[in-house]
Amino acid sequence: MKRRSWPLLGVLAFGYAFLYVPILLLILYSFNESRLVTVWSGFSFKWYGELLHNRQLLDAAWLSVRIAAVNATVAMILGTLAANALTRHGRFRGRTGFELLLTAPLVMPDVIIGLSLLLLFVAMQQTIGWPDGRGFTTIAIAHITFSMAYVTVVVRSRLARMDASLEEAAMDLGARPLTVYLRITLPLIAPALLSGWLLAFTLSLDDLVIASFVSGPGSTTLPMVVYSSVRMGVSPQINALATLIVAIVALAVIVAGWTMRQKPDRAQKRGA
Amino acid sequence: MTAPPTHSHRLSRLVNIGIPYLWLGLFFLLPFAIVLRITIAEPALAQPPYTALWEWVGDGMLQIQVNLQNFILIWEDDIYLAALLNSLWVAFICTVFCLLLGYPMAYAIATAPERRRMILLMLIILPFWTSFLIRVYAWIGILKTNGLLNNFLLWTGLIDTPLHILHTQSAVYIGVVYSYLPFMILPLYANLTRLDPTLLEAAADLGCRPFRAFLRVTLPLSMAGIVAGSMLVFIPVVGEFVIPDLLGSPGSLMVGKLLWTEFFSNKDWPLAASLAILLLALLVVPFVLMQRLQTRIEEGPA
Amino acid sequence: MATIAERRLSAPRLEPWQDPKAAPYVHIERVTKKFGDVYAVDDLSLDIFQGEFFSLLGSSGCGKSTLLRLLAGLEYPSAGRIFIDGVDVTNVPPYSRPVNMMFQSYALFPHMSVEQNVEFGLKQDRLPRRERAERVGEMLDLLKISELRRRRPEQLSGGQRQRVALARSLAKHPKLLLLDEPLGALDKRLRENTQFELVNLQERLGITFVTVTHDQEEAMTMSTRIAIMDAGQIMQLDTPTAIYEFPSCRFVAEFIGSVNLFEGKIVSSDGDRVVVDTRLGRPIHMRSFLPHPIGTPVTVAVRPEKMRLCQEFREDGVNQLKGTVEDIAYLGDVSIYRIRVGDGQLVEMTLTNIQPRTEQALTWEQEVAIEWSPTSGVVLTE
Repeated sequence: MKRRSWPLLGVLAFGYAFLYVPILLLILYSFNESRLVTVWSGFSFKWYGELLHNRQLLDAAWLSVRIAAVNATVAMILGTLAANALTRHGRFRGRTGFELLLTAPLVMPDVIIGLSLLLLFVAMQQTIGWPDGRGFTTIAIAHITFSMAYVTVVVRSRLARMDASLEEAAMDLGARPLTVYLRITLPLIAPALLSGWLLAFTLSLDDLVIASFVSGPGSTTLPMVVYSSVRMGVSPQINALATLIVAIVALAVIVAGWTMRQKPDRAQKRGA
Repeated sequence: MTAPPTHSHRLSRLVNIGIPYLWLGLFFLLPFAIVLRITIAEPALAQPPYTALWEWVGDGMLQIQVNLQNFILIWEDDIYLAALLNSLWVAFICTVFCLLLGYPMAYAIATAPERRRMILLMLIILPFWTSFLIRVYAWIGILKTNGLLNNFLLWTGLIDTPLHILHTQSAVYIGVVYSYLPFMILPLYANLTRLDPTLLEAAADLGCRPFRAFLRVTLPLSMAGIVAGSMLVFIPVVGEFVIPDLLGSPGSLMVGKLLWTEFFSNKDWPLAASLAILLLALLVVPFVLMQRLQTRIEEGPA
Repeated sequence: MATIAERRLSAPRLEPWQDPKAAPYVHIERVTKKFGDVYAVDDLSLDIFQGEFFSLLGSSGCGKSTLLRLLAGLEYPSAGRIFIDGVDVTNVPPYSRPVNMMFQSYALFPHMSVEQNVEFGLKQDRLPRRERAERVGEMLDLLKISELRRRRPEQLSGGQRQRVALARSLAKHPKLLLLDEPLGALDKRLRENTQFELVNLQERLGITFVTVTHDQEEAMTMSTRIAIMDAGQIMQLDTPTAIYEFPSCRFVAEFIGSVNLFEGKIVSSDGDRVVVDTRLGRPIHMRSFLPHPIGTPVTVAVRPEKMRLCQEFREDGVNQLKGTVEDIAYLGDVSIYRIRVGDGQLVEMTLTNIQPRTEQALTWEQEVAIEWSPTSGVVLTE
């Protein structure tokens, strides 16, 4: 009954081209010998070489990765707790406010989150003396605050789809609530935890605006370095960096896709 | 399951609700109170650069200083109101374009054969995982006066003189639609796949032609997805900074960029805070709309 | 129908629910469960005895599943108390009850093998490894699924999953096993075989079974007693035979099997014999063990298979009616005839197809006379 409509396929093709052509051009020109992105003057790896010797950029990247890892781990834990609360504790008092606080960071403009957190950190430093200066800790706290909301969305939908009778069965067989959670619930939502972690990691690695507000001297993250070099104009080093990021992401996707495809095959073989 | 009246259940409530609530209260809600308090302070050459709300002036007298100067300034200087209005306008236009491009894409993906659907969806999500900043940067090279687009168009002979696109409002539109398109497609896709295909078959069986069936059945039923996607685009775009900064004209006024300038260049924290509060006030209505919908989607049939 | 239950009924000993001295194993005392404003279980009391195969039967939403979950501890009553083996378990959490449940969805843990699923409950009791392995082996043997021990639930057929779920819930040797629609997810043929297996298993292990089902045939075949539920209350509690032959009210009569109902009033009552005046134009003679004052409005319920073709119709014959055949439904073993009688009421009659269909006596529009015996029906007052 399904007939493909050509205008629809046309829009689809246009949409994907729109999404991917800029990225492909970025990759292509990372191998360009010339500094100009507009003129192709020959194939070269020289921008990768320069990238690998850009001390400032590498330091910033290392800082960003560390912040992202801390952020992703804490956000995963907090986001999972919040998802538990929303799916397992019914209509508790203050639930509406709770949900509001978990949805707002998803859409709140970065400038508002950044500014307000900075003002909080300043006020806290004045009154209780902590945090002492701004840097790693303040950026991590800021990132956790907005990325835990994303983790909650991912984990919540997995929890909501989980068959509640699995947990009931475990309890019926004598497992106490904590055991049920550790032995049954957690293993079953592990994929969601992983994607929540990865999402939080990427969000942190990607953030320019909030980090700019809450960072201090000596804590420059990768996006901040990229931003200042982009403001100066087009830089082929950034193209090289983009290519590396795309390569890492593509590799991760291929590995994930490959493991997922392996699974049903194995299941079938054992089932036969 | 009903709440078992046990100690461990109370503990689990405390942990699951209490810890995230405390975190968000401290780092998300409390900051807004502080922002609100700083809007009524005066800028000062101090660290931090604003006056205190209250001061002890001898003999235990408490002097409270309220300064509404910032809001008066925003009201009287056209530049701020113009920026607010322009931000809303840009966000609206971009939301419409995202919808026009995103709806057919989401529909095409949702109706694609099962095997291909996951790959198509993956391709929508994939750009998320690469740096947002770098993706916006890519458009500089494309839209520049001597950039790739102009070179291409000159080469094809469609134009004789290069178009001036970068650092105009159009470049902002392109950048925003490009960056926010996935936010529109994902909720729409989720909504459209949940649609029972037999509804369309029933409509066809009752004599409804495909396009009419789309207008009368699919479109009304996907309204929740349309609103959700639109809000996911509209709200953050109103306060967007990176795209207007990198692609827009230096004179183009967006409130996010203005706030950034007041804060980082002019060091006027109270004014920046006032702008943040105004921006927040503007976004309350669309946010409540989205929140309502979200609750309905979460609690509705899966 | 009712084969196994009847076999048990014929046992000479006194059944526990008939013995006033017997202590109930499960004692439900005026239990109410509200969800918001809805009463899922409404002031319900019930005793279940050791070794019973007890069925809760009713349509969806009647409260039978809630009652089962109350026994398991997955819900807590809004009012009333529940005792199991003499112990008040009203507020005891599920993991501390001597009860196990087989879930309708089977709820097999997808990330564990068959063996690990069965072992799960034993691990919670911290049994030593050797004992666990022994018990798992015993359960897998009992349900003939030993060769599946390393498989994951997703690699099992529906019938195999049902066995694993059963093995898992039996592994802890519970005194009381709760089964929520145990055969609901199986196809018809498998369901019939499994019914007998379940009953044999229950007799062999001597465990008290409480099942929830919406399938009356299933309840009739397997149960020692059935509680028919509606709107959170028990409408009738009895053996399968008694429920089928002697329904206590219209709801039960109509819920189980099909039935012809004739409304009327008592016009004469003599010992266990009553005469009911109906709109059929002639009185109905019935046997009734309950005293009925003259003038009581009653309903006479007669099952279609109790109707027979009348050999010689007499104007003053007992419970004889004339009518025309309006519908015939051929079901293979039997045929159902719908006959329009005197006052326009449709009466259903089931006849066994002794002859091939082509040689059947009755056809559409045919004039027939039917009759039934005064002992093959009941007089209902509500």
